[in-house]
Order: sequence, then C-alpha cells, then structure tokens
Amino acid sequence: MATARSASLSTKRRSDSALVVCLAGNPNVGKSTLFNRLTGAAVETANYPGMTVGLNIAAARWGGREVQLVDLPGTYALDPVSEDQWVARHGLLDWQPDVVIAVVDATNLARNLYLVLQLVDLGPRVVIALNLIDEARRQSLRIDPRALSQALGLPVVPTVARRGEGLDELTAAAAAVAAGSNGLGHGRAVRYSARIEAQVAGLEEQFADGPAALPEGLPPRAAALALLEGDEELVAAFGEAGQTAAAAGRTSLAVPIAAARHAAAAAIAEACTEGRASAPAADRWWAATTSPITGVPILLAVLASVFAFLFFVGGRLSELLTSLWMATASPLLGSAVHGLFGYGAVAGTLLWGLDGGILAALAVGIPYILTFYFALALLEDSGYMNAAAFLADRVMHLFGLHGRAVIPLMAAAGCNVPAIMGTRVLSTRRERTIACALVVLVPCSARTAVILGSVSLFVGWQWALLVFGVVGLVGLVAGLALNRILPGEPEGLVMEMFPFRRPSLRLVVRKTWKRFGTFLWAAAPIMLLGSFALGALYETGLIWHLSRPLEPVVVGWLGLPAVAGLTLLLSVLRKELALQMLVVFAVARYGVAAHDLRTFMTPHQIVVYALVATIFIPCIATIAMLVRELGWRRSAAISAGTVGAALLVGGAVAHLLPLI
Amino acid sequence: MSLQSESREEYLEAIFKLNQQSEGATVGRVAEDLGLAAPSVSQMVARLAREGLVERDPASRILLTPGGRRKALRLVRRHRLSERFLTDYLDLPWDQVHDEACKFEHVLSDEVEERLAAHLGNPQTCPHGRAIPSADGELPDEAARPLAELSAGQKSTISFVSDEQPDLLRYLSSLGLLPQTAVSVEDVAPFGGPLLVRVGRARYALGREVAGKIFVRV
Repeated sequence: MATARSASLSTKRRSDSALVVCLAGNPNVGKSTLFNRLTGAAVETANYPGMTVGLNIAAARWGGREVQLVDLPGTYALDPVSEDQWVARHGLLDWQPDVVIAVVDATNLARNLYLVLQLVDLGPRVVIALNLIDEARRQSLRIDPRALSQALGLPVVPTVARRGEGLDELTAAAAAVAAGSNGLGHGRAVRYSARIEAQVAGLEEQFADGPAALPEGLPPRAAALALLEGDEELVAAFGEAGQTAAAAGRTSLAVPIAAARHAAAAAIAEACTEGRASAPAADRWWAATTSPITGVPILLAVLASVFAFLFFVGGRLSELLTSLWMATASPLLGSAVHGLFGYGAVAGTLLWGLDGGILAALAVGIPYILTFYFALALLEDSGYMNAAAFLADRVMHLFGLHGRAVIPLMAAAGCNVPAIMGTRVLSTRRERTIACALVVLVPCSARTAVILGSVSLFVGWQWALLVFGVVGLVGLVAGLALNRILPGEPEGLVMEMFPFRRPSLRLVVRKTWKRFGTFLWAAAPIMLLGSFALGALYETGLIWHLSRPLEPVVVGWLGLPAVAGLTLLLSVLRKELALQMLVVFAVARYGVAAHDLRTFMTPHQIVVYALVATIFIPCIATIAMLVRELGWRRSAAISAGTVGAALLVGGAVAHLLPLI
Repeated sequence: MSLQSESREEYLEAIFKLNQQSEGATVGRVAEDLGLAAPSVSQMVARLAREGLVERDPASRILLTPGGRRKALRLVRRHRLSERFLTDYLDLPWDQVHDEACKFEHVLSDEVEERLAAHLGNPQTCPHGRAIPSADGELPDEAARPLAELSAGQKSTISFVSDEQPDLLRYLSSLGLLPQTAVSVEDVAPFGGPLLVRVGRARYALGREVAGKIFVRV
C-alpha cells in the first residue's frame, strides 16, 4: 500500500471563501452520524484514483459562514499502511483544513487518543468531540472534559451525536479555533524519548538548511516524525535531496514512536477518567455470538431471518407495487401512448420502456433492494455484522476474502447491484474484485425466477436444485481460481469487534434511504434504457436478424433452439426477461401451444437454458455498477469470464446429460 | 574463519530460528530456509550431531544441545548487533539490513563483537524489535510463542511482532498491539479460523496468519 502513488489532488476542490473542516476518528465512534447531523442531504463522494475508500464532502452553514465538511474514512491511525489510512492521511494533507474535528469514543478513550496525538504531531488545528458520553456514563465511566482539554491542549466538547447533543457547542468551538490565529487548537505534542527527539531535531535542522521544500505543506516536526516512522511516500516525495535526509532518519523507529504515543494516550486517558468501567452488558452477547457452539446457530438464524425478511417483505412489497402499477399507471400510460402515437412500432417501443421497464423495476428491483438495505442497516447498526464476519472468516479465506464478504454475497441473492456496492466493506481492490466476481455468480431474484419458472415448473424441482448446485460449484471454482490468479496476497484479518448497541430506527431509515437513492440513480436509467432498446428491437422486427450469427454456438454447442439463443442475448438487458421472451418468441414462431416450453424443448434443453441464463453476465445494470466500482477493464474481464463459464458449463452439461 | 565453520554457524542459526517457530526444525525445513538440497543438509546435520552440537528427537526434529545453543545464540547476537550497526551507523534502511547482516555476522571476532556492543550502547533489541542475546548467551524472549497457538481464555503479554511485513507491524502498532502489552484470547474460531483477542478496552478479530506473527509470553 505504501508504494508511491501520485498524489494527484483529484479530490481537492477547496473553495477560497468556505471554511474547510475535516472530520477524523476511529471507526464506529459516531463520526458519520455527526457528519450527517452537521450537514444537509447533499453529500458528494470523492475518490482517489485506484482507491475504493472515498471521502464524503458536504456543505453546511455555521452562523452565516459557509463550511465545507470533509468526512475522512474511519481509521485508527494516519500511517499510509492501509487503504483507508492512506485516504485519510491524503485527505487531510490535500484539503489543508482550517480545523479538524477529531471524534473520540468516550468508552475507549486510550485507544482513540492515539489518533488525536498523531493529528497533533501532523500539525492541523484540532477540536475534540468527546462522543458517546451517554454510553460511557452507562458503563460508569466519568470523563472530565476540562482535564482532558488541559492534558491535550485542545478544546474538548462532550457530544451525543445520535441525539444531536452538544453540536452547537462543537461547531462554535471549531469555528473559534479556525478563526483564531492565537495558536488555539495546536495541542500539546508528545515528547518522545531522547533518542527520537535528537533525531527529530537533527532532521528539522536539515530541513531548515536544505534546498528541498517540505512536501504536502507539512510542518518540519511532522515531516521529521513521518520520515522516522518510515513513510515511504514521503521519502519519495523529498526527491534526491530528501533521500539523504531520509537515510539520516533511520527508518526503524516506527514501533518505538507508536509505543510512546500509546503510552501518552493511556496516561492521559487514565488521568481524565474517574471510575472503573463495569463490563458492558453487551459482553455477554459477544460470548454467545462468537463462540462456535452458539455462534454458528445464531449466524444461521440471522441469515435465515434476513432471507425470510427479504422474501416475505420484499415479495409483499413487490406484489403491492405491481398491483398498484397495473391498476393505476399502466392503463393510463397505455391509453396515453396509444392516443398520442397510435398502435405502431413507436407506441409499442414506448410501452416496453415506460410500462414494462418501470413495472420490472417495481416488481423485481425496488422491493427487494429496499428491504435488503433496511435489513443491512439494521444489522450494521446493531454491531452484529462483526460477529458474522468473525465466524465466516475461515470459509471466505478459501477465496482470498475476509469474513466481511459474507454480507454482500448474501445480498446478491436479492439483487446483484446493491451487493456490488456492498463490497465496499472490503478493504483492498483485490478482495473487492474477487467479491464482485462471486457476487455476479450468485443467482439474484430475477435469475431465481427464471430457474423456477422453467426448470422447476416444466422439468422438476430436483433439476432446479441441480442447476443451483452447478452454479454454486462454478462460484466455488471461480473463487478458488481468482485467489490463485490475482496478484497480491490475501490480507490477514485485523478487525475491531465493536460492542453491541441498540440500533436507532431513525439512523437505520436514513441510511437505508440514502443507499437506496444512490442505487436508484445508478441503476434505474439503465434499466429503462434497456427496456426501450429491447422494445425497439422487437417492435421493428430487427430482433430476428440477430439470431443468425448466434446459431453455431447456440444450436451447435449448447444444443438449444435458435430462438432460445436470442433470448439469452437479450436477457442482458433485463434478466427475468429471458424466460418471458422465450415464451413470446416461441409463440411467435411455433404457435400458441409453445407457452409450454416442453412443446419445443426437451427437459435437458430447458436445464441447459436455465444454467446458461443464470451463469452469464447478470444484467446491464449490474455491469454498469461493476464499472463504477472496479473500472471498465476488470468489469469487462468479469463479464467475459461469466460468459465463458456459462458457455463451457452449459456445453458440457448439454453433452453430458444425454449420456446419463 | 574457514568457509566450513561459517556454514556450520549458518546451520546452527537456522535450526535455532526454526525451533522458535511452532513446527520446529526438520531437515526439510532447514534445507528450505538455507536454500540447499535436503541430502546435503542431512549430511551436515549428521556431522553436527557427531560434534555434539545437535541431536534428533523421536519425531526427527533437530534440537540444539546446550553447546550448540551457545554457538547459535552467539551468532544471533552478532547478527542482531550487526543489524543495529548497519541501521544506526551506516544508515541502511531496516528492511534491507537482514541480508547484509548475514554476511557481516561471520567476520566479527569476540573482541570486535564486544566493542561493537559497547559502542552501540549495549542495545537490547535489533532494529526489528527482537531481543539481542546477552554476551553470556541469555535470550529473554525465547519463551515467546505465536499468539495463534493460544487457546480461548489464555492471557499473555506481547513479546515482539515479527517484522516480515512492515506495514502490518505498523498497523498493529497503531492499534496498540505492541511489545509489553497485555493481550488475552477470548475466543478461537474452529478449523483455523480467526482469534478474538482483547487489548485494553478494545476487542479485535485477528486472522490466524496475523496472530502467527505476534509472539507472546503466557
């Protein structure tokens, strides 16, 4: 991770008039909650090239002053040794904030102060939001904000971000520090051992004499410490003149410096805390959810409930939305379109897109995605996700993934699109690529409908199970293979296990809605466009010309009727259409009796058809999301891989089945 | 110093190092470590056994005799002192000094070793944080074993973190997984799954490979 990446400041859009405020803090300390509280709805995300972790940026007004709030990723430190820390560090250096609000968890002060001390070393002005003080009180921990403020030399404002307590005081303190030129907010830096301090002083002297300007606007002490900690990027940034300085700062002091910071943090926390923490009641929950004997059944129960929730609530919602649409918008649209455009190809195309397209979104996409997002936010907020990740870690390891990957993989059974967005819980690009490839191979609700509606209905449920089994096998092989092929090592799991907290419905709904909005903007236009394209092809009759070039593969290798190949091709636009189109085309070609697939396909052909339809590229919306998350090159590779796997497996099964 | 005695020292050092890890030293692992063929390692081990420096246990692991251990520790001491010298005086970065020190350690006489240590201020650890054996062959951290070997409920103190992956070392340091820190194992997932450990008021799930790089004393 520490390879020198060009520090192109693609995310930096600092406007001169606005106050720039960065939010820093450990994961799960309520930083995002605070961010949401302090800003309105319009949040943009800025990404560094090649980085999957982004910065959230939003505007706000504090007493008439325009403020740009930059939410750094939640990190434990600011060393460029992991992707999130790299982004946090660069966000901080690139944005040059007027003030940094460091959000600290009052229930785990010692560990949280490490980041604060590192911030002080790095140089920006800092204000502390002492968050979760209600939680601390519940654990009979009393923290003296004034003593903490004195020990750190920084303003400290107690807050309860969830309930919005202390936020006015916080913004006032931050604005005062940002405005003041009296050195307020610079904090008391850690005094390191004589050996380290001597080397820091030596380097500072060199910087004063040296021809090289300090990169990234770092104060000399900050640059000296970063060099001593072995910051390879900084060493590179110093250029030739810096190499000597870097060599003089022996790059072996990272651990002693970290140890000194931890010791200082622990001492400050100790001095400012009264009362010994009683073990939180949640501890007992932990034991149950992570010990193998009770944890695995709990995990299975939770997974089953999420599935049940998804299928029952999502299914109900789907029925409701469908019948609402059919009863109201659909007839209206129909008469409006026919009234305006008559009954020709134009009207037909418009109806495919507007009526059919929106209906498909209402019936398949939206209900399942909305319910899934809700379940996901609920699980995340409760803190259970970590237990699931802990237990699933071993299995995910086979694929070069963490336990955390289990969540998006589960989501994929609803719809692949949000699942691909969900792979953001993974930290490296390698992991995300593997996870996305596996997500794409999980049959989503639309593909499950194709399997059930063809194989299960016309051939038998055992055969449907066989199809699911083969698809699962393909996923297993793909995961194992990708873990071997992709360069890089699987990352070892290092994950903080957060305590359980009672989820706040308000936050869960807000999170659900925010994610859902993102999904809708990304996927809905593509779904609609796909429907229009399909409609135009069908209504103009162009569609029949597409089937000829496919024949060698479809008829020759897969042994399927030519019309089937056409529907496979078109199902890229919307997967559940594979089956609907098959019936439509078959009726057009073979007559009305063809609504029963068995009139023109053998059971084996139906199985092969369902297999191929399930394995190859999910749909165009999924591809668009893949491109957004992984870039077009990896997306093309994944898509091509699924096509290859579908043809290979489909062909193999087509040739093997008659032998059995 | 003859080439042969140099290679003998390399063997002892490798055996010592491997015996500190959980699987122990076998002919195969020594061969792998030194990049040699198994038959020649087998021959050399037989010779070392004749000289009373090593012995084989029933599981055909290679163990150091007290005499062999003394020689090995002396070499480890010279290696780690050399690393210290290379970083502190010659300003080589710490991730490069290991290979250089492998050559350096063999040319030190007793007297040079002693003066080097004095000149460096008798350092306790090498640049990677591992303990340097004392001149009389004491190694304080020998009892350290990987955290991954502990079972649920065991409490321990971190002795050192392996430096094979500097980024990981730094990441763990920032979390407070540092030498002399108390760490207790709360749960161990079955079938080689991760460990659940508690450090201070925080809990972490650590994958096996990560926990294998953290050495602790129980």
